Amino acid sequence: MNKSSIRYDILKEVFNISAGKAANLLSEITGKKIILKIPDVTILDRTKSNIELTDYLPIKFSGALMVSTISFKENLAGKANLIFPAEKMKTFIQLCLNEEVYDEDNLSLDFTDIDFDVIREIGNIILNCILGETSNLLDIKLQYSLPEVKVYNQITFTKAIYEKEYQHILVLFITFIIDNTEIEGTIIVDLALQSLNELLRKIDLIEADTYV
Amino acid sequence: MVKVLIVDDSIFSQKVSANLIRKYMNNVELTFANNGEEGIERYEEIKPDFIITDLLMPKLSGQELIRSIKAQDKSAKIIVVSADIQKNIREEVEAYNVLAFLNKPLQDEKAQIICNLIRENMNE
Repeated sequence: MNKSSIRYDILKEVFNISAGKAANLLSEITGKKIILKIPDVTILDRTKSNIELTDYLPIKFSGALMVSTISFKENLAGKANLIFPAEKMKTFIQLCLNEEVYDEDNLSLDFTDIDFDVIREIGNIILNCILGETSNLLDIKLQYSLPEVKVYNQITFTKAIYEKEYQHILVLFITFIIDNTEIEGTIIVDLALQSLNELLRKIDLIEADTYV
Repeated sequence: MVKVLIVDDSIFSQKVSANLIRKYMNNVELTFANNGEEGIERYEEIKPDFIITDLLMPKLSGQELIRSIKAQDKSAKIIVVSADIQKNIREEVEAYNVLAFLNKPLQDEKAQIICNLIRENMNE
């Protein structure tokens, strides 16, 4: 295994462990099993106009997206996003509130302030878990912004992901399904590539400890 | 009656905390604040026996709220309930001598820990 493959493998595994912990929390909140798919890591170049972030997503969203976001800075800079199809959010909220789920009434996209508050807080818990665990494993301190929730279509979401100030972004993503609900979600963490040197330094330390 | 101030910018989390605390404690009077700034105002108004606070909040963070309350009363009894699981944040907050640092989501087991802490520290 060459150095680059080892680094990639470690980064993917760190993300995998963090996503596993976040899935466990989501399972605790919803009372349902969470089925995780294999995480992936890629570097995107914003200047290459043919790149569509959605091409990299294992699931193809067709309608509106409900996206919870936390930005972070200090030793790493970037954003973490928890993404669900908006039309499934009423069902998701009922699960989180431990209410009986009525699928047929749930397709409405009229969200109340309470709906947004629930999604924001659940996003906050899940994204804090994934970022916090990564921070703990790599021993990197992160400073978070307040969580935000927005409804996007695919185009506006892709634009939002591509931070103007970053030419390259490192994207970690994982999809999951909430068992028996048809609710499929994705977590995307995008890092400014300026953070990559710090990330690689920490990964190299793990590698040095592991492969002595 | 034990006075407990809950400071959290999520109404959802306020409700979850309130329901669980009421489930495991009688004779508790709950007051709510939506951010750290309001938390200080409520604290000064009602002088609660216990404060349960989130960390990441608008206007004034939980850390700043704890610093401000501890500056007024070193023995103030504060319990932190936060989604932040970073070790260094936990260490930083625990250095303020808080009663406990628990991670969200709050559920029965953690609510019982909080209620037991309140009972144990009520008359101190």
